[in-house]
Amino acid sequence: MASPAPKSPEQSEKNRKYDRQLRLWGDHGQASLEGAHVCLINATGLGTEILKSLVLPGIGAFTIVDGKKITDEDIGANFFLDSESISKSRAQVATQMLLELNPDVRGDYVDEGPEQILSNSPDFFNNFAVVVATALPEKAIILLSKKLWELDIPLIICRSLGFVAHIRVQVREHTVIETHPDNENPDLRLDKPFESLKKHMDSINLEEMDLKDHSHLPYSIILYKYLDKWVTEHGDLPKNYKEKQELRESIRSGIRIDEHGIPIDEENFEEAMRAVNTCVSRTTVPSGVMEVLNDDRCINLTAKSSSFWIIAKAIRDFMENEGLGLLPLKGAVPDMTADTEKYIALQQIYHKQAVADAEAVWRRTLQLLRQLGRSSDSISEKDVKLFCRYAGDIHVERGSCIADEYDSKTTNANEIAQSLENPESMMVYYVVLRGVEKFQAEYNSYPGEFDDHVEPDIVKLKSCISKLLGEWGCGPLAKDDYVHEFCRYGGSELHSVSAFLGGLAAQETIKFITNQYKPIHNTFIYDAVTSNSATFAF
Amino acid sequence: MAASISGVFSESLQNAILQCKVLIVGAGGIGCEILKNLVMTGFNDIEIIDLDTIDVSNLNRQFLFHKQHVGKSKAAVAKETALTFNPDVKIVHYHDSITSSDYGLSFFKKFTLVMNALDNRAARNHVNRMCLAADVPLIESGTAGYEGQVELIKKGLSQCYECTPKAAQKTFPGCTIRNTPSEPIHCIVWAKHLFNQLFGEDDPDQDVSPDTADPEAAGKQRVLFQKWDFNVFGVFNEILFFLPDTAAEGALQNESNDKGNVDRVSTRGWAENCDYDAEKLFTKLFHDDIKYLLSMDNLWKKRRPPTPLDWSYLPDGVAGCSKDTMESGLKDQQQWSIAKCGSVFKEAVANLSKALKTCQETSPGDHLVWDKDDQNAMDFVAACANIRAHIFGIPQKTRFDIKSMAGNIIPAIATTNAIIAGVVVLHAFRILEHNLKACRSVYLRLKMNHRNQLLVPEKFVNPPNPKCYVCAPTPQAVLAADTTKMTIKELDETVLKARLNMIAPDVMIDGKGIVVISSEEGETEGNNEKTLEQVGIRDGTVLKVDDFHQNYSLTVTVLQREQPSVKDESPDFLIVADDEDLKPKEDITISEKPSTSNGKVEKVEDDDDIDIVETEISPSTSEADVPKKRKTESPTNNTINKKRKVETNNQHDDDVCIIEDDREVEKVALSVLPAIEEKILTPRKYKSLPDDDCSIVYDGNEDQSTASSPKRSKQLAK
Ligand SMILES: [Zn+2]
Repeated sequence: MASPAPKSPEQSEKNRKYDRQLRLWGDHGQASLEGAHVCLINATGLGTEILKSLVLPGIGAFTIVDGKKITDEDIGANFFLDSESISKSRAQVATQMLLELNPDVRGDYVDEGPEQILSNSPDFFNNFAVVVATALPEKAIILLSKKLWELDIPLIICRSLGFVAHIRVQVREHTVIETHPDNENPDLRLDKPFESLKKHMDSINLEEMDLKDHSHLPYSIILYKYLDKWVTEHGDLPKNYKEKQELRESIRSGIRIDEHGIPIDEENFEEAMRAVNTCVSRTTVPSGVMEVLNDDRCINLTAKSSSFWIIAKAIRDFMENEGLGLLPLKGAVPDMTADTEKYIALQQIYHKQAVADAEAVWRRTLQLLRQLGRSSDSISEKDVKLFCRYAGDIHVERGSCIADEYDSKTTNANEIAQSLENPESMMVYYVVLRGVEKFQAEYNSYPGEFDDHVEPDIVKLKSCISKLLGEWGCGPLAKDDYVHEFCRYGGSELHSVSAFLGGLAAQETIKFITNQYKPIHNTFIYDAVTSNSATFAF
Repeated sequence: MAASISGVFSESLQNAILQCKVLIVGAGGIGCEILKNLVMTGFNDIEIIDLDTIDVSNLNRQFLFHKQHVGKSKAAVAKETALTFNPDVKIVHYHDSITSSDYGLSFFKKFTLVMNALDNRAARNHVNRMCLAADVPLIESGTAGYEGQVELIKKGLSQCYECTPKAAQKTFPGCTIRNTPSEPIHCIVWAKHLFNQLFGEDDPDQDVSPDTADPEAAGKQRVLFQKWDFNVFGVFNEILFFLPDTAAEGALQNESNDKGNVDRVSTRGWAENCDYDAEKLFTKLFHDDIKYLLSMDNLWKKRRPPTPLDWSYLPDGVAGCSKDTMESGLKDQQQWSIAKCGSVFKEAVANLSKALKTCQETSPGDHLVWDKDDQNAMDFVAACANIRAHIFGIPQKTRFDIKSMAGNIIPAIATTNAIIAGVVVLHAFRILEHNLKACRSVYLRLKMNHRNQLLVPEKFVNPPNPKCYVCAPTPQAVLAADTTKMTIKELDETVLKARLNMIAPDVMIDGKGIVVISSEEGETEGNNEKTLEQVGIRDGTVLKVDDFHQNYSLTVTVLQREQPSVKDESPDFLIVADDEDLKPKEDITISEKPSTSNGKVEKVEDDDDIDIVETEISPSTSEADVPKKRKTESPTNNTINKKRKVETNNQHDDDVCIIEDDREVEKVALSVLPAIEEKILTPRKYKSLPDDDCSIVYDGNEDQSTASSPKRSKQLAK
């Protein structure tokens, strides 16, 4: 052989173990996951279900905060606890059980309640990637949400109550580079070819090619040629269906014919005609991206700005200068029917330009870092490249502080009132859940928790709910059924509902950690009786 | 634990939970979660069946398994782990295939309900039929990446698994694979076939050597080849005439058999003779065979001719790949040079031949089974596919991508499985409460839909399709095939077993009482090689088909349909529930409910046994039976042409979501198929995955937990 034989690539055990998920979030997503430390407050059945779905895919580390001892009820709700663990520390036993699921994961626990920790060691939460909490009382929710809002750490509050699941996501600002849009159009710049692309395109003469070359030309070149002709004739790109159809017809007319006058099977021309829809449009900067680039956080960087904003600013500067108003080129070329030489030639042109654009953005990033007095290695070139690749679909999520919902001055009372007017709306669950929290705060138990209290609890819960509705300026609930239902649940947790919600909450946690996919905005409620669900934005 | 839910569940539900007996089919990602949920809810009579053993790639989600369990039975370990936490539950496990005749009607009738947690269509079809026959409610579920779905199947009340036609698997003409590949997938399919030829089960349909019967090679217009039996001989003569001395050396003999293969020592035999010498194998496969192909010079008049490779001079540079080269990647995601492919090939051949030898020492005649998670098997296919791609000037792929395509990998994560398994058990409650009407199908989406829903329920339980060829009161189907060509054996294996998923069919000609296929051994073997016509099956013949094991009877009406030309990508036969479906699409009134379009996850396929499967995006019904967009010079018949037109239009739409522009196209689509509307307007993500130019298969579930595939014999020696 011509070269010394390299060894067969080793597939580490880890890569094999995570193969099926790497196909969803990539190795960089996996790296983020493995670098993250999450905190779970309260190792309830739901809490352990959430952590289980984070430990299996290989979260870096977790810490359980839970001051409770294991009871009979925990054993009924938590798969990993057996009757021998009764009266042991719930945090400790859950930590041990979860660590057995994946030897790659580190885990520890604190045998204290969250309120204690908040008052005794206020810095405790500073270094978590995400904090997830279950079965948290009202008071603790308010304290924790304020603290984490201040720290700019995402908080996910979950509740599994009878047949109802509720999740509230709090994030001050969350930036997403890889949103994984449903349909990403190729960034071919046929309408605004960069210099090397134009040169390449112009060097090709369709008419003079022999048949073999003609039918092995990548479709984007064909498209460019006919589009160029179109623009020369019409002065603009084809804009509507009719004009695009005309362009397609003109491409069709370019298909060669054989000696019998029958058009030859030229797949690349067929592809070009099909690509008219996706590839023939004006290359612009999407308005959503423009909004992000014009955000105050982008324009006015500070020493504390995150990499996202610094790179965003670098891209903005790039656009205003060498980018000529456009985002950095993505550089990817879709698969095309073509021979390797021609395809690779084209691929190289896009690739080189994308590299050049990314380098320009990288240089601007370094410049910004210098100006901000930050070390040049605080952002890697790889991060900049990734950003450039997905710049057309970036997203900034801005949420609200949960504590605001507990203050009648700041809560979104209008939204509640309006939703309640619709008898189909699931807002009523939110109202009852808030009533249950209030009930808990006042009576230190769940409504209906004790069999002989169900009837009086219904009355008490109703009065908690009326108080809330009064604060929000809303009329009474149309029906009582929900109040009765929640009292019937008596605060118990159904494992299947917790399993469902556990998966969902873990999914949101992974979105925050990997900076991929847009998170839920920001409240999700599920009724397992009817299979209905809804999201609300507070 | 039932105590803690006493207030939540009605007394009757509590009792039902305690008294019922349930079956979980599949102990993979969803199966493990379901088992846990059932145990935690107080179910105490559970049976679980799975054929598979635990693989490392299961551990990221199948939480009842740990590293020390790799290689053990999934069903056994799932039970064992569940019992360590909850010793009081009664769990019975079977390390077996659910399609085995040990699990007949009386087995299914034992259960109050059955929950499927499968990964392949064959097993799903089978359990579907068994549950219909036993009249036991079935909860069907599946996940693919972030998406998933759960549905109830109950005889007479709901759609069954086979009520809506599923996309058929995509097949490639043999000569494309063997002679004129033009896409990476063609090379990957070839490489998998090569694996089987060298190390696996010998399948004559998977020949990898040049196909001398390729009609195109004769240099005539394809239009002349509609009747290919007539031309085959002509082709042979010409080919033989072309045989160059260089290519005819050694192993290559000049005799062609009727399948168009040049008769010779089998590839396996030849490889054994040269002791799996990597260089010799390489030279034969990537030099001599290519030279032979080059000699069929009519193939290369309009194509770029392949370039034979010389083992001593393999190119060292990394050629471009079709994937974004900027993307940083795993080692697995880097592009290999051809020189590297050569060395990977060498090492894989050495390891695989050793493994083959080892397994044959213990049981002679045994063979390896291709497994995407086996490093050597996967290395071999990746290297061979890329070498062949290079030879034919086709973009190469990374090992990572080839693994997806060759293994039909469905991404799988713990979170989605947890969500879906939760919903499965919530459905089970409704069934136990006899509230079956509340078991609406539920779809979990990757993203919110326009109504801000992540979890989308149907409005009501979808009623059965009255024309379903499985659950209709008297199931009927139409088989359109060439009765002068199709043999009884093909009818049995390709149509009844492979396509219609029967296990042991009996076939009788209606009105004549002649049994043409019997499930009893030795009764009808004499018919095997006869054509349908020879045993008296012609246009209009009605066949009574029975599968006693599945308790399934089907009436099949045969329609004569001329066999498509060899180069045509349309299948050899069509099978539909409704002969209306054979008419041009414009005339079809679809039986599928429009409501199924609100986020339905593609039902998934076997991941091991097939090459590739198309997603269901394009028009349903007989879509798969229509020739692909490919233009043929030969105007076949009007029906086919019309279909093609519509399909081409829809293909435009798959790539786009531009609505205003394509009104016209849409109009066509809408008038044709109401069910397609939403699918067109909401393009599905798999169409736009950057790296799946050959639709990766999305099936309901896992990639591994095959509680079914009866063919599976032996895992590779690890
Ligand atoms: Zn059916």
